[in-house]
Amino acid sequence: MDVSQTKQEHLLALKVMRLTKPTLFTNLPVTCEDRDLPGGLFGELMRDDPSTIKGAETLMLGEMLTLPQNFGNIFLGETFSSYISVHNDSNQVVKDILVKADLQTSSQRLNLSASNSAMTELKPECCIDDVIHHEVKEIGTHILVCAVSYTTQFGEKLYFRKFFKFQVLKPLDVKTKFYNAETDEVFLEAQIQNITTSPMFMEKVSLEPSMMYNVSELNTVTLQDQGVSTFGKMSYLQPMDTRQYLYCLKPKPEYAEKAGVIKGVTVIGKLDIVWKTNLGERGRLQTSQLQRMAPGYGDIRLSMETIPDTVNLEEPFDISCKITNCSERTMDLVLDMCNTSCIHWCGVSGRALGKLSPAASLSLPLTLLSSMQGLQSISGLRLTDSFLKRTYEYDDVAQVCVVCPHNGHLS
Amino acid sequence: MDSEEAPAQRPVTLDITVEDVIGEAPSPEPSSQVPAKDYLLAQGESIDLGGEFATPQADSSASPLESLMDKLNDQMMESVMISDSPNNSEEEDAAPIDSFLDGDLNEENEGNTKYDTDEQAKCLTITAEIEVSTVQQNEDSEFKGTEETNIQEYVTPCMSSHPDGLSPSSPKCEEPTLEKGTHLKEEPVPVCTIFSQGKHPHSLIPDGFQPTLIKSPSFSLGSGGGTDEAVTPSKLTTPLVCQPSPSLSKFFTDNGQTNPASDFFDSFMAPSSFISVSNPNAEIAPRPKTPKTPIATTPEHQLSSPSFSTLSVPTANSAHVSVPTEFTEKHQPPFAQTAPALSQPLPPAPSSQSQPFNHLQAVFSGSDDAFAKAISLSEVDRRHDAWLPSEETRKSLISVATQQYGPAYGETNRLTMPGLKFDNLQGDAVKDLMLRFLGEQAAMKRQVLTASSVEQSFVGLQQLILWFVRLALLTKLKLFQNAELEFDPFGDLDQLDLFYEFYPTIYPGRRGSMVPFSMRLLHAELPQHLAKPQEALDRLHNLKTVCLTILENLEKCLAEDGSMSSLTEENTQESLKLWRSRLSRVLYSMANCLLMMKDYVLAVEVYQSIIQYEPQQRVQLLSGIGRIFLQIGDIKTAEVYFRNVEQACQMTDVNPSLTTCVLMNRAFVHLSQNNYAEAHAAFIEVLKMDPKNPVANNNAAVCLLYLGRLKESLGKLEGLVQQDPALYLHESVLFNLTTMYELESSRSTQKKQALLEAVACREGDSFNTQCLKLA
Repeated sequence: MDVSQTKQEHLLALKVMRLTKPTLFTNLPVTCEDRDLPGGLFGELMRDDPSTIKGAETLMLGEMLTLPQNFGNIFLGETFSSYISVHNDSNQVVKDILVKADLQTSSQRLNLSASNSAMTELKPECCIDDVIHHEVKEIGTHILVCAVSYTTQFGEKLYFRKFFKFQVLKPLDVKTKFYNAETDEVFLEAQIQNITTSPMFMEKVSLEPSMMYNVSELNTVTLQDQGVSTFGKMSYLQPMDTRQYLYCLKPKPEYAEKAGVIKGVTVIGKLDIVWKTNLGERGRLQTSQLQRMAPGYGDIRLSMETIPDTVNLEEPFDISCKITNCSERTMDLVLDMCNTSCIHWCGVSGRALGKLSPAASLSLPLTLLSSMQGLQSISGLRLTDSFLKRTYEYDDVAQVCVVCPHNGHLS
Repeated sequence: MDSEEAPAQRPVTLDITVEDVIGEAPSPEPSSQVPAKDYLLAQGESIDLGGEFATPQADSSASPLESLMDKLNDQMMESVMISDSPNNSEEEDAAPIDSFLDGDLNEENEGNTKYDTDEQAKCLTITAEIEVSTVQQNEDSEFKGTEETNIQEYVTPCMSSHPDGLSPSSPKCEEPTLEKGTHLKEEPVPVCTIFSQGKHPHSLIPDGFQPTLIKSPSFSLGSGGGTDEAVTPSKLTTPLVCQPSPSLSKFFTDNGQTNPASDFFDSFMAPSSFISVSNPNAEIAPRPKTPKTPIATTPEHQLSSPSFSTLSVPTANSAHVSVPTEFTEKHQPPFAQTAPALSQPLPPAPSSQSQPFNHLQAVFSGSDDAFAKAISLSEVDRRHDAWLPSEETRKSLISVATQQYGPAYGETNRLTMPGLKFDNLQGDAVKDLMLRFLGEQAAMKRQVLTASSVEQSFVGLQQLILWFVRLALLTKLKLFQNAELEFDPFGDLDQLDLFYEFYPTIYPGRRGSMVPFSMRLLHAELPQHLAKPQEALDRLHNLKTVCLTILENLEKCLAEDGSMSSLTEENTQESLKLWRSRLSRVLYSMANCLLMMKDYVLAVEVYQSIIQYEPQQRVQLLSGIGRIFLQIGDIKTAEVYFRNVEQACQMTDVNPSLTTCVLMNRAFVHLSQNNYAEAHAAFIEVLKMDPKNPVANNNAAVCLLYLGRLKESLGKLEGLVQQDPALYLHESVLFNLTTMYELESSRSTQKKQALLEAVACREGDSFNTQCLKLA
């Protein structure tokens, strides 16, 4: 009597359950000592409980798996898995059953069914099972559309659909910062925040550099030949926790030579993030291409190649500068060196460096001394292009720590 | 080598915020990088998903409004998909699909009714949401109802005579020798009700059952402390009915008139005729007196059966009166002890039940030679009762001992005033469900043990132990709120009158805590279940410190409390053993609490530290730590721990349970790698060695479901439950089974009811009916 009371009653029932990972059952240990009134009762009860760990009953986390209790949340980059079961609730054989599962997102519709062929017949109390998987690639509303068509034993063709709606949320918040070094190196700091409600194990956070750069990750410290993570023992992020990853990008030599190439907006690369949650539930995201505006250097760039970090007071020391022509024309350069209150240049000022064609560079060894202690700025370099009679000033190009050599011995 | 081609799968793109320190680079436009594929709309239809919706980012620290949104969203998600909803018949008329999709969360309710397509269509998600919210409301109102009824019942609290009170009855499971003037009740099924007075609320009260069925660390506490409260509305609305609760010390000055607070203790005592001895001087203020043995009381009884109130403690053969000696001289008319007794703490097993009672008698009953008895007991007593009170309490206790202050000494606020706060706090949820689904006839068959069916046979009970039992059972029933209220008067268990030293005349020479260690532990653990895990940790650390100090004292060959003593080597070793096991028990509680708080780093550290005290649990602990890592998702580290387990197993002899442990671990690793077939194979491997292993059986069935083999999985679980209900009528198995029923067909309710019948004849009322998903 439970079947076919009305026209609308279908012979087949469609059930859908999202298959997130199962969870481990936790029990609640209540114990007492043998001398207490309940004696061994509590202990006995815990030993008899199939969900406890035998021999260590007070260990809360058991081994019993339980099926997911609710739909839960689904995040971008995770895999949406669902069990689709079509059960013949009637007492008649149903023919030509076709089950179709589509996923409708805001931009597209995907077919998720494993097979698109119809099942010839389904006996009473039998069911058609399908487990679908889909890696979620869009944020926002998704609708799982399940359509079932079949033919009754009287040849009547019937069809019904069910919709299952869910929202896909953003799991991570990623912020990036670029730092330009004195050299051509670029440092990228990526702040990754877990905006889900569960802890997240960050399996991989790597920077895939664009073709111009080589990358080195600065997220491990080498201790006794072993890379130790800077994030401590456990590589997981609690909800709302943020973690900073640091990467150093070096231009590949072929690009670094032609300094003019790295100019304006450049593509740095993208972050590839793989995380796992409960019992290995996996998610993966990539950021869009990270872009950065290369710092402008004007017509001529002067960069430090070598410089000591600490020098002695009133003792000459050597530095080496690199002069690169970043303009589109050839220059004829003259170098002037002006002393400041503490920096005294050694050698001849006003010497000609010769012609420098576009994108070419030359190395320039210089000697100087400091007359004051402390952290001193190296300033006073002047380059004049004799073609255009234009002078470029270079002050505060580097710092050096000046110490008194006797202090160390005296104290 | 453009990396766009590198990954095999098309990776998902995430918009990011770019901040350039130099400030020269413009932030790249965030763009959703959905490959603009041609829209494949099979049947030429398109579902408009509407515009932007508020992404309910589950953010526990969000504003109240936002967290409300979360909850809305959670509920919607929870209810999605599985069950077909009756409200949602296909003939419903409604608007085109976009109309409901456009709506926001609240409007969706209405959208559903308007919903229409030319095809018969349903939108389960949305109706389910409505269902949940209405159910929630119903529950709330039901709770309110309960509150009122409870309050009414409380006008006549447990002191009211039980109908059977005067003729003590005995359940059939009672030890025969203890039977005395009892009549057997017809008892079809021995199921135990705790503290029930035989009255059951008529309405369906999900009393004390948490709506969350299974608390996995990965689910609970997820969105901050609020979640617990959110899911347990029953806890919040628990009526705070309180009985008058005078100080414990008042019992000593009491002149024997029926004391309201004594009712609780009364309720544990057998109604029997007895002689009550009381103190004629009791009306006079108590003053220091030398102990004097009253005629009716044997001295050893005073030593061994401390009693706070002027209660009779009948034994099977004789009626003793245990009254504090200083005040006992005058005969009092016996007051009728008619209140129902405490039923057994647990589903009774005849043999095991009598054992602890005998044991208790052994500890507390008197012997002919009081002095010898006292000496023989003192070692064990000292060992178990040892405690280090706070400095202040310690000083006060010393002054009690030295200056012979009477028990009235001490400010009342430092004395304990316990009181029974709840009566009838739990119905029989199984019976309620039976009434609802199987009819009254079936429900009548369900019998639980009530107070009236239990023989009151305890001898010389120590009331604090009773309190411990009651509180432990409340905890076991997950009635945490109630347990907390009843624990409240005990404060931090550091009050003067909780130490033997406070009663120098009653317990001459006896020292230490009257509060059992297990009760301290229970007290420490409790706040973690009430969304106050930090408080629990504080208390547990306190216990740990005491344990460590006592161990330190013992290692220095001092007594537990640090006093100089001449403990024999044997006794010192015994004490060390006891206190080490207590320490490891405290550490377990700490680790469990940390696990619930999801502080995995510390939890793992503490579990690891237990190994040194419990080396025989090494394998279990390492496996447990491995599972924690799996739960976080760190499979590599989990495998490191599992390898350690395998090494530990290799070193010991081949112990099958250890090898099953290794296989189980492997299965979990496979499971975490999404390899359900291998995981299933590993669980089957366990079953080859241990065919009755309930965990492996259940887990293998779960794997089958993920492999798309629902019928097989269902058949397997059903078979297990039928063949071996003792092992498989466990809430986790039943939950899995009912979930599969729901997935299988529209007739899950009938099948669930069949399960209910199976449960009804086996399980006690601590059974979590939530797992049947019937209500």
